[in-house]
Order: sequence, then C-alpha cells, then structure tokens
Amino acid sequence: MIYLDNAATTLQKPPEVAAAMLNALKTCANPGRGGHAAARRAGEAVYQTRALAARFFDMEPEQVCFTSNATEGLNIALRTLLRPGSRVVISGLEHNAVTRTLAGLGAVTVPVTAPLFDAQGWLSAFEAALNPRPDAVVCLHVSNVYGCVLPVEQIGALCAKRELPFVVDASQSAGLLPVLPKAWGAAFVAMPGHKGLLGPQGTGLLLCRAQTEPLCFGGTGSHSAQAEMPTELPDRLEAGTLNVPGIAGLGAGISYLLRQSPALLRRRETQLLQNAVHGLQQLGIPVFSGAAQAGVVSFRMPGMDCEEAADAFARRGIALRAGLHCAPLAHRTGGTFPEGTVRMSLSALSRAADVEQFLHSAREIQAARRRAAP
Amino acid sequence: MYNVYWILRSVTPAQKASAVLNRSGMQHRLLRAPRILAPEGCAYALTLRERDLERARRLLEREATPAEAVYLRLGDGTFQRVGP
Repeated sequence: MIYLDNAATTLQKPPEVAAAMLNALKTCANPGRGGHAAARRAGEAVYQTRALAARFFDMEPEQVCFTSNATEGLNIALRTLLRPGSRVVISGLEHNAVTRTLAGLGAVTVPVTAPLFDAQGWLSAFEAALNPRPDAVVCLHVSNVYGCVLPVEQIGALCAKRELPFVVDASQSAGLLPVLPKAWGAAFVAMPGHKGLLGPQGTGLLLCRAQTEPLCFGGTGSHSAQAEMPTELPDRLEAGTLNVPGIAGLGAGISYLLRQSPALLRRRETQLLQNAVHGLQQLGIPVFSGAAQAGVVSFRMPGMDCEEAADAFARRGIALRAGLHCAPLAHRTGGTFPEGTVRMSLSALSRAADVEQFLHSAREIQAARRRAAP
Repeated sequence: MYNVYWILRSVTPAQKASAVLNRSGMQHRLLRAPRILAPEGCAYALTLRERDLERARRLLEREATPAEAVYLRLGDGTFQRVGP
C-alpha cells in the first residue's frame, strides 16, 4: 500500500517507536505512583518524552502536558479561556475540534475568511476582526483540508499587542514546520502525537503558557491529601494513569525528528508536494495549491464523487482521504462544501516513488472514467 | 550518606531538578518523600549529601523548581527543617 493519508495519522513510523512502546509495556508500571523500580522506570520514560518535547518546542518540561489527542488539548484550552457567550475570532478553516467545542461552550464565533493561500489576506482579515475586542483568537497553523499555512506568528503579534489569548491548533504542522509557542505569543498550542511527531495514536500534547482549568479530575500522584486538583502543571491536566507506552513511543518519534535536519526534511516534503501538485495539474485535475502550503494537497477528480474517487485510488493500493475531513467550515470557506475533496498528505517518511505511484493511479482513474463516459 | 531531603511537590519538577543535578555531576537519589515530610500527600525528595547542600541550593533555585522544604535527617532518624 502507498500510504498518503498522513494528515489523518502517520502509518509509517521509525522502527524505534514500536520498540520503545514494547519496552515500556514490558518494563514500566505507573509513573509517579510508587517508589519501586518499575514505577521509577515509567516516570523516567514519561519525563524523557516531556523533556524531548520541551526541547523540540522551546518550552520548559512542566509546560508540556500529555493529552490523548489534539482535540483534548483544544478542549482544555478553550474551556479554560471561554464561557457561554464569549466572543471568539477563529479562522474559517478550523476543524470540528475547535468549532464543535466552541458550539458546545455556547461561545459566539466570528470566522475570518480570506483567499486560501493569501497569507497577507488572512492577516488583514484577522486584524479587522479584532474590533470589537474578542475574548480569544483561535487559529490553525496548517489547514487539514487544503494545506495552506496561516501566518500564526503575525496573528500572534496582533493578539499580543492587544493582550488577547491566542490558541493555535498545530495538528498538521507539528513535526513538519517550526512550532514556536513563545515566538507566537500563544497561550496554548495543541497537537496530536500521532501525525508529524510520528508517535502512536492516543497521544497528544498541549503546550501551555497560561493558567489552565482541568478537563478531567482525579489522582495525580501529588498533593493526594487535597480535595482539589493541584495548581501546578503538568499535574493539573494529567489526572489518572498516563498512556506510558504511547508516551514512550511519542518520545521515540520526537527523538527521531531531533536527529534529522529540519531544513532537509522540509525541502524533501516541499519537493514531493510540488511533484504531486504539478503532476495533477498536468493531468487537468483541479488542485488547491499556493505558495504557502505544507503537507496536504486537496483535489477533485473531474466528473467523480470524491468518495468514489478515493475508493478508486484505494482499489489501486493508494490510501487517501475524501469527504469533508471533519472540517465543514473549511470546505465552506474554500468553496468545496458540500461536495468535499480528495486529499493526499505527506509525512517525513513519504518517498518520491509514493507520489509517482499516486500520479500513475490518478492517470489510470481519469482514463477509465473517460472510457466509461457516454 | 544522603541525609538532605530536598522536597518537591510532584514528580515532574523533581525529575527536572534531578536532571539539573545530573548535569552538574552531583550524586543524589530521587525518591518518594517520607510520608512525614509530605503533609499534603505524595511528594518527592531528592536526597543528597549535606556537604553538597549549598551548591545544590544555588543550582536548583537558579535552574529548576525551588524546594517546598528542605530537611536534614539527624542521627536519631528524625528530621530537622533547614529551609527554604
């Protein structure tokens, strides 16, 4: 199988990810819940990943909180900052992880729109939306539908100037582009562990630069005599037993990325993305592309339903994702609602041969459709 | 003999402090704090030699999380609070 659905989750991982998970499963007990060797080993495995993530994102270890995915991190951030009736400026590209959470909170959302790949347009639109003053600003770094990169550093500067809390969803960028909460002035940055960071499913990180309210309450292995949750991070957000094998695997994924050259990885990914875009365009297939794009390419096979197109790729051994990608707001903004798109997405381990095979299949599918057309 | 108990409220700051001491080459152990030193329950202790206390204090207060409390274990097994 040629796996090009990395925006959903990376399937290929460095071999050391599975090895770290297996080792943790065999040797680690419950971190912070005992003084014996197996509990200490678990504590060390968790701290090692926390410290690696802190290094990777230029944070302090205690600002790195483990979650089960990006959605949980976004729920914590948004439920900390907002109340029913709060006014929130969001990009018109947000995932349901943001929009449903805000709807659940009863917040008033103000979606900002601009041409998909026009960074300056996004910045101007955000600036215009900050008057009247919102209670928070939420923005993704890279769209999971179109791959457009939003100017989060500049949007963060607008927020910092107005002392507005800024939340970034780095689900598609972590591990692929520099993610720098401090430089962005972000209160919170949420991300999955299982995409660009190459960890297993069931892992995520919330990078915290502000006080938080817990989503989940319970034992933390600290302050046990108190009725309330501890005030310090990360304990405040990490009630219950942690996913130690998953966290160990995530640490191995981050460690792999730390050993690579980020510039080289980025160059490779950009080259593969351009190959895909140009190849599809040469076939006359409408593609969503632009200068500021990373990791994700959406396209529409002429005359085909997007799910049927993805199924035609799947029957040729190419794994893509079609539909609305849990981001109907983004499809509305990009003009692809309700039809949806077909999406191919890359990872640090994608190969040029994968993209060639994908383009070969696109050519076959298009030829078959033409043959079948009346 | 590790007779200084540098108490931290939870495992992450304790691990961070331990990493600081490791980088400076200072011998120590990270363990669960004796119950009597953790009135709020479940704290952690870095134990180290008394002769290293002042250097540890400088390092940890500058680079890591300050202690909740620092105790000296006396010859009779009791603890005397010596900081912060």
